[in-house]
Order: sequence, then C-alpha cells, then structure tokens
Amino acid sequence: MNTLVLVSHPQIADSGTQEFLKASLPAENISWEHIESQTVLDVAYEQAQLRQADRIILQFPLYWYAAPAGLKQWEDTVLTRSFVYGDHRYPLAGKELGVVVTTGMPAEAFQRGGAEGLTLDAALAPLAAVAQRAKMTWLPTFAIHQFSYLDEPAKLRLVIAYQRYLTQQQPDSLKNRQAWFSDHLATMIAQLAEQDQSTGRLIEEAFKQKQTDLETLQDTLAMIKEQEDD
Amino acid sequence: MTEEDTVWLHQAIQKLASRQAKFTDRAFWLALDEVVREQDQRHDQLGGEVDGRTWSPDRW
Repeated sequence: MNTLVLVSHPQIADSGTQEFLKASLPAENISWEHIESQTVLDVAYEQAQLRQADRIILQFPLYWYAAPAGLKQWEDTVLTRSFVYGDHRYPLAGKELGVVVTTGMPAEAFQRGGAEGLTLDAALAPLAAVAQRAKMTWLPTFAIHQFSYLDEPAKLRLVIAYQRYLTQQQPDSLKNRQAWFSDHLATMIAQLAEQDQSTGRLIEEAFKQKQTDLETLQDTLAMIKEQEDD
Repeated sequence: MTEEDTVWLHQAIQKLASRQAKFTDRAFWLALDEVVREQDQRHDQLGGEVDGRTWSPDRW
C-alpha cells in the first residue's frame, strides 16, 4: 500500500510536533510532502501523486477549527472539478482519506459543552464532504492533543499509533493490528544486534502462535453459535 | 501457551525494547508488548465465552 502524507503548516521548521511525526514515518511506501514549501503548486504533479496513492493523509494543526490556509489553497488549486468528478470519472474513488490533526487543547475540549464546543468530526466536515464527493473512504480522524504535554511513554505509543494509522489495514481491529505487527516483525528482527536475533525469532514465533490460538478459539465460538441458531 | 511462556514473552520483549538505542525501534517492541497483552485478554474472554456457551443450563 502506498501512502501519501500531505502536511500543511505555515511554520513547519518551528513545529516540534511535525518534526516528531516526520521522524516517526514508516521506512517504506510513504511519500511525504510539505504543501507550503512548494512556491508554485504543480497541479499535474500533485494530481499524479494522488493517483498513485492508496491512502492519502492530510496532516495539519487545527487553526480556528479548520486546516491552515495553505491546505485550502492546495485544495482549490489541485482538486479541480474535472479531476475529482468531471465527466463522471472518479480517479480518487476507492482511495482512503485520513486526517492527522494536532490541537493545543485537550480531547475533552472537543465536544458539546467542552471548552471548544465543537467536535473534530464537525470541524472537519468540509474535508469529509470532499472525500464523499470523490467517492473516497473517510478514515476515523487521528488527533494528537497537546503534544508538548506528552510524557515519554505516551510519545513512544504515539510513534507506532501514527505508523499504523498511515499503513495498517482498516478498521483498527485486533485482527488487523496483529497482521500489521506480524508483517513488520521480520524487518525489525533483522535490524536487531546479532546476539538478540534468536530472542527476536522466539518472540515472533510466540506472537504468531498466540495469533493462531485466537483464530482457533474464534472458529470454535463461531461453530457453537451456529449450532445454537439451529 | 502456558502462563510461564507468557511471562517469558513479556520479559523478553521488554528487555529487547530496553536495548534499542533508536526511539522508533524501542517504540515498536513496546507496542508489540501491548498487543500481546491484548491477545491474552481476548484469549481469556473468548475461552470464557466458549466455556459459558458449552455449559449453558438451557441446553442441558
């Protein structure tokens, strides 16, 4: 799966959050682009990038309940009517669209009665409408609240949660989580120091055994339920 | 997998994580440990449900 990450941030060099996310990017099958760094938007290139991606991620800080102006300008320039739905051709159909949004306020603020009084889903509704118009699949939003307050364990969790949001099959079920780790274990073991590789392989074996055991239990349960229905 | 094996697995993953110099590598192994915990929890729940449904008095 190819993932395109489009970052919109007017002062990206000053953003510790964006620096952290860039350092956390998965090693493979990722294209990363900072919108405001393009002095002139090359529409054909941007559209080609969108065409080759299976999952498109829009990543930005929330400014006044919306994306920064740079992303709107990118939308207005790149997402032309004829590209998105003209002539009843939908080149983006079936692709996934996800949003990674960072906020200065805590998660509790984004609800009715909360300090912001608006849910993130409501704030991002125009982008979700674009996804619907283009026949894309809208992914549940990945929100990072108050990054600077996160302690080290939370930042460690964020690295992998972010990588999975970019590359793991949706929905984020235990089955899909197991498959993601299963796919990555071989590469991670190969990167271990030589004396740790045998431990790495034993861990992989045990992990996959647990995965198989769960599948067996699920099959047994499905069978019991089927008999109960008879 | 026995309880002893599970204890070994968590310890082995945590030890590997602590030996990683790179932040993102450490993050991977720690996240794997979390998924293993999730696997164990789901295993207990499913096992309990299988037992419960097999021994339901309604079906005696």
